[in-house]
Amino acid sequence: MAEDTVITDPVTAAADRLKTLTKVMTTKAAIAQTPKELVWTLNKSKLYRYIPVLPKEKRHPIPLLLVFALMNRPYILDLRRGHSFVEYMLNQGYDLYLLDWGAPGPEDKNLRFDDYTLDYMPRAIRKLKAISGVKEFSLLGWCIGAILTTIYAALRGNEGLRNLILLTAPLDFSNKQDLTFARWTDERYFDVDKVLAAFGNMPGEMIDYGAKALKPVENYIGNYVKLWDNIDDPRMVDGWHAMNTWVTDNVPLAGGVFRQLIVDLYRHDKLMRGELVIRGERVDISRIHANLLTVIAEGDHITPSCQSEPVMSKVSSADKELFRVKGGHIGIMAGSGASKFTWPHIDDWLAPRSQ
Amino acid sequence: MAEEPIHDGKPFDPMEPWREVRDVYMNAWGKTMVDMVNTEAYAQATGAMLDTYLTVSAPFREVLEKAMLKTLEQLAMPSRADVVAIAERMTNIEMRLDDLDAKLDNIQRLIVQAGTASRPHAGRAPQPSGKKQTTKAKQAQRGKK
Repeated sequence: MAEDTVITDPVTAAADRLKTLTKVMTTKAAIAQTPKELVWTLNKSKLYRYIPVLPKEKRHPIPLLLVFALMNRPYILDLRRGHSFVEYMLNQGYDLYLLDWGAPGPEDKNLRFDDYTLDYMPRAIRKLKAISGVKEFSLLGWCIGAILTTIYAALRGNEGLRNLILLTAPLDFSNKQDLTFARWTDERYFDVDKVLAAFGNMPGEMIDYGAKALKPVENYIGNYVKLWDNIDDPRMVDGWHAMNTWVTDNVPLAGGVFRQLIVDLYRHDKLMRGELVIRGERVDISRIHANLLTVIAEGDHITPSCQSEPVMSKVSSADKELFRVKGGHIGIMAGSGASKFTWPHIDDWLAPRSQ
Repeated sequence: MAEEPIHDGKPFDPMEPWREVRDVYMNAWGKTMVDMVNTEAYAQATGAMLDTYLTVSAPFREVLEKAMLKTLEQLAMPSRADVVAIAERMTNIEMRLDDLDAKLDNIQRLIVQAGTASRPHAGRAPQPSGKKQTTKAKQAQRGKK
């Protein structure tokens, strides 16, 4: 029997490529597909519990709460089927929760780190404990989420926090030379109050521009060139589509938080200097006693390693580890190497500490 | 018909050398741009652009806001400030409800614990009938007599 042969002429091939390109540029990929249930809400924030895939006797008793940045969607942790940190951790037997901050509206322009760490997080954790029926839990904070979890761990760490995982955590702002954002938001050039008076919250598009402008050629041109070069590879196109869906789904940052981020952290490095005051309480990082894993991305241009390393010598945790992994700010958790390096390491570290 | 020349197991692609040149050029350009955005001059220039935009647009925004406020007043409709105030109050109510919910959870848990504690023999096997009898059984026997 003769084999079927597909003969594609150059015109048809070009038309197919154009069709694929149009599709990935104008549609949204199917993301965040792992089944979950909504268990708590407050304002725009939602706490989800992922449906466990292993029977209770095979699961770790200590639940894990994922806390992502405020100005991006958290589904980067559950990007697409077959390539999802959430899916991976469920298969490893974790009782997994995700705190989705939602998109702040004009009424949330005064929200500060104070509100997120002392109103929202403790309430979400209270619900998590009630559902899981345990007194202890683990926290994973990524990017700005790592700032929130660090502040929480320093202020309320004695309320059952056993393990703390910080991913690409921007905590130390003392090295101004290596921080492009610090240069851009210097008080000589950037009037934070004028910006917030105009917009209320910091628009997602401006944050997105800031992040992309750190590597303009790579983000504005190289990214699309890479897609065109691999347009005939469905696997690569699917990955690009999912990532593009996430990258273009911007969320504004509450005005109060943005002001604190720029003034208290980028300009005055108050967190590491022990001068940050949250609702009248000084944030003392040395009060963190939880087991600590800090993950640093070696190619991170948004949070260089100098921002994440110093926390290791400041905390009082007896059990702490610094893990370096090749990749960028997002790539270490959502890139092609994440399932080979970062995720297994997090599991290897967390599993024995979740018994 | 002549077959396509094979190079390293892949069909010959006439665009490959062009792509290599392009990548080298883009890498160099990318590095230059990264260096450029890291300068004080770039920070100053973008800061000045943003400041100019905000300064120029401020009077227009103000006029628009005032006109909108007046229109909404005329139409007896709530302004943005009114809606924001209601939304803030809603969040406060949500927090109170959340606290009440947590207290109810706690009360329910305590009731379940108390119920379990008051039934210490609930899980045990029934006693042999010859030795100890329950009050109900004794009353039944008395009735027979």
